[in-house]
Amino acid sequence: MNRRVVLTGVGAVNAGLTGGASALDAYLAAPYAAVARPPGEGPAVARLAPSALEGLIDGGEARRLSRVSQLAVVAARLALADAGLADAEGLGVVIGTEFGDLRSTMDFADGYLASGPTGLSALLFPNTVMNAMAAATTIAIGARELSLTLNAPTVAGHLAVARGAAAVAAAEVEAVLAGGVDEADPYLMEMLRCLGASGETRGEGAAFVVLESADRAAMRGARVLGELCGAGWAGLPARPHGVGRGGASRAIAMALGQAAVAADAIAWSYLSVGGDAERDAWEHRVLAAALAPWEPPAAALAPLLGQHAGLGALAVAAGAWTARTRQLPASTRRRGVPRDDGARALVHGVARGGSHVALVVGPAAA
Amino acid sequence: MKRVAVTGLGAVSPFGLGVKAYWDGVRAGTCAIRPITLIETEGFRCRIAAEVPDPLPGSARRSRADRLALAAAIEALEDADLGRRERRDAAIVVGAVGGGMLEAEAWYWALRRGATPSSLAPLRRILPFAHAEALAHHLGILGPRETLVAACSSGAASVAVAANLVARGVVPVALAGGADALTRICFMGFNALRLLDPEPCRPFDRERRGMSIGEGAAFLVLEDGAHARARGARVYADLAGHGVTTDAFHVTAPHPTGEGMARAMRLALERAGVAPREVGYANAHGTGTLQNDRIEARALRDVFGEGGLLVSATKSMIGHTMAAAGTLEAVATVMALVHETAPPTANLRTPDPEVAFDCVPGVARDVALGCAITNSFGFGGQNVTLLFRRP
Repeated sequence: MNRRVVLTGVGAVNAGLTGGASALDAYLAAPYAAVARPPGEGPAVARLAPSALEGLIDGGEARRLSRVSQLAVVAARLALADAGLADAEGLGVVIGTEFGDLRSTMDFADGYLASGPTGLSALLFPNTVMNAMAAATTIAIGARELSLTLNAPTVAGHLAVARGAAAVAAAEVEAVLAGGVDEADPYLMEMLRCLGASGETRGEGAAFVVLESADRAAMRGARVLGELCGAGWAGLPARPHGVGRGGASRAIAMALGQAAVAADAIAWSYLSVGGDAERDAWEHRVLAAALAPWEPPAAALAPLLGQHAGLGALAVAAGAWTARTRQLPASTRRRGVPRDDGARALVHGVARGGSHVALVVGPAAA
Repeated sequence: MKRVAVTGLGAVSPFGLGVKAYWDGVRAGTCAIRPITLIETEGFRCRIAAEVPDPLPGSARRSRADRLALAAAIEALEDADLGRRERRDAAIVVGAVGGGMLEAEAWYWALRRGATPSSLAPLRRILPFAHAEALAHHLGILGPRETLVAACSSGAASVAVAANLVARGVVPVALAGGADALTRICFMGFNALRLLDPEPCRPFDRERRGMSIGEGAAFLVLEDGAHARARGARVYADLAGHGVTTDAFHVTAPHPTGEGMARAMRLALERAGVAPREVGYANAHGTGTLQNDRIEARALRDVFGEGGLLVSATKSMIGHTMAAAGTLEAVATVMALVHETAPPTANLRTPDPEVAFDCVPGVARDVALGCAITNSFGFGGQNVTLLFRRP
């Protein structure tokens, strides 16, 4: 990376926590699985309470915006406030999503199927395009620089953080709000069940981190939660929707190279494993090949909060928390404890089909 | 930052397969907007679009959009004459909106009308990322992979994002483009917004009444200039600069002053180190809606001055091809530089007096060109400008 990129804020709304860095810290110190298994054969799901957004969004936005856009707007505002940013001057927005606003798409189609052309809603149509959440967010916070929506299975949020960090590192923008959003709509759950649920725990919510150049953060006296030292993303050989056998990880090599560290500098990792047994096993194989013989302790958030595109930003913020506290969330610890020598975290994600992201997170420099 | 060269082009358009068919159609000013055959149109005010003619290459088991994307991507890679290793290491950035929605809609329509669809396969290809997965797998590409959704500017945004990867030295080669097939949702949505002209669209015409939709795919191979030179590759043009901005104003309407559009154009000029007077041609977003054309013309005037360059709208011939539009228009812009020919705006009979530019009505114009831009704008206030320069 050309410029150092630091993490100065986090905002999240999901089944386990709502708030900024302090809410995340409290959750990670005493995590619980906010997951329920619905009746029938559907996958386990971590859903937000119906009242979760009360008081966090104004009446006009609640009427005008779809629920998934509301989630994005709420998390974005929480992240900006957490970073101590009064406005979005110079701020880019990069949002990852796996499913976008599927609910609005179904409602739009159902309007036609029920009543023909007169049943179509001009208000719903823009929501059928996946950048609807980014549009709602940029309008709500007044962000006028680049705005990107990235679509990928499992790792959309990780990819958004990687892409956002690259934009800051290359001085394309001074700061970026990067993260993701997804909704566990009942229709989506039914569709996943029809397709043969993979066993993955699904969730919903939005989360963002505020990334900015270290110089800008220092200049404005911002609290620094951690540093994003390297980011890599690539493809692994796999059929669409399939898992691969293993594969040399270009993404991890790229992230370690940018961070200028070797594999044994990785003191802990946050993985994307979440209950899809084939994919989870693939991720472990990829990591083992990339980091061998070193096998750092690992944690995963999907079993706690359910898989959704907000997890990428949350994992990065959690990596920074581990750097500060030397703890991993207790209930997800695989083995060992992080080393206490200032080493780095690997935030890692692999998706069916081969999308693959690696992020190296370190503590805030003294 | 490294120089970014365009070394391969591929297109599937309403003129058929290949860049040659596309450029021949565009240069001739032929309008390919016709009655829709792919989806039902009963009861809608507008019943026309620009469809890609049959036969499509590739397996019918793939989604139509995947087939369009594959054909264009294969042409671009073959055109660039890349080796297997270069292809493997390349980045792939795909702009997409509809994904495999056309087939998923057919599945859902059948289900809702009481039938039992035999296969769930269409649902697996419904999301936009399906194209990048299909392309990466089929073409053996293992570099950075991204699917961008930026509404109607998705294709152009994919080129801008891929250019960053090459310029920063992350990869020496990137395949960037966009693809979209006609879908019911898109057709019905623009009808619901009353943005479609029942007749073929007439960008920049005083009597224009809206847009026409279309489908297609286009890809560009972007390459580190030194890498291209070392392997003796033909360079069509340099992607000298790009600008990506957001209006933060309205979900569907552009900012009335065109401020965000103008910022994108200025950013592209600044990054390219090019003065406005050096740009001779703008391939406009030019949808044919009253609002878009007027605001884009205002933004162009603010940046380049009144009458400062030739402006034309490819959408007058192939309709608005959604995620493919930005890259199809980028291909047209590159070809304009290569042939030093400004393609025309079809169906332009009575120029709008509020558009302060020569919009090349009907007939292509030979003109000395050093630099050219292409604009793409989308729902959510997304603005992208790409600036190409003769090598």
